[in-house]
Amino acid sequence: MHKIHRFLWSFAFLLPFLGMGQTTDNKTVIRVLPCFEQKGMVLDGPIRTASGDSLAFHTFRMYLSNVVFYNKRMAVFTEKDSHHLLDLEEPGTLDLPFSIPANLHYDEIAFDVGIDSVTHASGAMGGDLDPTKGMFWGWQGGYINIKIEGYHSKCTARKHAFQFHLGGYLPPFPTLQSVRLAVPSNPKTVQIQLDLSPFLAQIDWSQDPNVMSPCLAAKVYSKIIAQSFWIHAQ
Amino acid sequence: MRNSHLGGISLILWVFWLVLTAQMRQPGDPIALIYPASWPKPLYDFSKNPLTRQGIELGRRLFYDPILSRDSTISCASCHLSFTAFAHVDHTLSHGIENRIGTRNALVLSNLAWSTYFMWDGAVQHLDFQALAPIAHPLEMDFSIEQVVQRLNETKRYPARFFEAFGDSTATGATVLKALAQFELTLVSANAKYDRVKAGLASFTDQEQNGYRLFQQNCASCHAEPLFTHGSFEKNGLPLDTALNDFGRMRISQNPADGLKFKVPTLRNIEFSYPYMHDGRFRKLRDVINYYAETTALQQKIELTPNEKIDLLAFLFTLTDRDFLFNPMFGFPMD
Repeated sequence: MHKIHRFLWSFAFLLPFLGMGQTTDNKTVIRVLPCFEQKGMVLDGPIRTASGDSLAFHTFRMYLSNVVFYNKRMAVFTEKDSHHLLDLEEPGTLDLPFSIPANLHYDEIAFDVGIDSVTHASGAMGGDLDPTKGMFWGWQGGYINIKIEGYHSKCTARKHAFQFHLGGYLPPFPTLQSVRLAVPSNPKTVQIQLDLSPFLAQIDWSQDPNVMSPCLAAKVYSKIIAQSFWIHAQ
Repeated sequence: MRNSHLGGISLILWVFWLVLTAQMRQPGDPIALIYPASWPKPLYDFSKNPLTRQGIELGRRLFYDPILSRDSTISCASCHLSFTAFAHVDHTLSHGIENRIGTRNALVLSNLAWSTYFMWDGAVQHLDFQALAPIAHPLEMDFSIEQVVQRLNETKRYPARFFEAFGDSTATGATVLKALAQFELTLVSANAKYDRVKAGLASFTDQEQNGYRLFQQNCASCHAEPLFTHGSFEKNGLPLDTALNDFGRMRISQNPADGLKFKVPTLRNIEFSYPYMHDGRFRKLRDVINYYAETTALQQKIELTPNEKIDLLAFLFTLTDRDFLFNPMFGFPMD
């Protein structure tokens, strides 16, 4: 009887650690590849567009959050506290590693572009959500989901500079966008291209195009950008 | 023999478990927010930012420290003075560094755990983030949270306090904001004569009682008890100040129906929080009452005789909470 007690106590102590030995080192990486007209984007690098315009990107930052892996339409892996700030200035941030269970099969991935209202209502947070990251509007109280800045020869704003700070989570202009992409195989690295050319093609450069607050344009542009992701052929 | 091995392993794991949980425990001494049992539950989620003695004290020091402004001349307390209910007495529009004049009168800070909108137009929807607005505003502190954090981490006095409060000596944007929020959450005003009457510990005079009746009849729909605000936005008929062109809530919602709507401020400690309205246009409380008694812009006209105005004023004075106004725990840290 005494031995049984000792065994049960030992088992109870071990219980919290039983899960620690599970094989979860199956690192899967989602790699986001920002591009323009299907060519990789380099900050400050001059681009000659298909229509002959001069273009350069000085800033590209974006929140990617709530990452979920699906298999046959069933969620098989949901990342906890899933908030990633992608910053083209720090290329390492474009690789998002996930420790998913070994032998996990998935055929779709889903994520949000931006920060959801639940997170907004959760108060100040650290890490990629820290307000010091330059992606939070102090005057407005909300995250900037996407920040794109640069130069376009047709832009009529001062020094041909454009600034798109797209955000806002409250009606009537919520900008959070959901993306769901089919993954053809079970790759170790999921390469996702984001082409900004469809977005910039929508801009009326004859008007001051800058967007720096929640508004209808921010909502429309966010939707166009979210529709510009696709899985890059491996 | 095998069982004794298992027991030994268990002991090691048990010690490991204790160390792990001790490290995961929130640093600091927990403090519970004290408020009357009859009040509604706070809307602030304390599980995301538990109050601790050290966090509150750090927040108080940050609140009174001009290090938050670009030229280190303006602190939160510059516009939010404790003995005037954390309003900016005598200033119609609050001013920032280099005598720059803002566009609004500083709001009272009290009972913030029950607020979901901050600033006169509700631009900020969480107390944690409120401090970002004055820090970054060019007419106020004209700084940035990034620069604040860098400056705090370069001081000798703050790293130890951040460690005590948050278990990390390096300040971050999140910990700076959480500390400020913790201090502000403790600013509970709940011991005015009104509260003692409600608790059965005091009685209104006849004049105050009549004023209370008039208040309930004419004011309580917006200035709802016990917080004396319903926390939302209203248009009270004030004409636009064309020098400021401040349309209030509409700037945020972009809905024309919200034009000239402003957050309904609490009336607690109103005796001390002059001047009044979003632009401080009324210097005296009687001017406010006269305005409401005369304006035809309200949905329901407020009719008050001269004596009723005085009775209403007498009731409003029962909302003064001297324990709150002169609480040394809310004042400048002297050491």
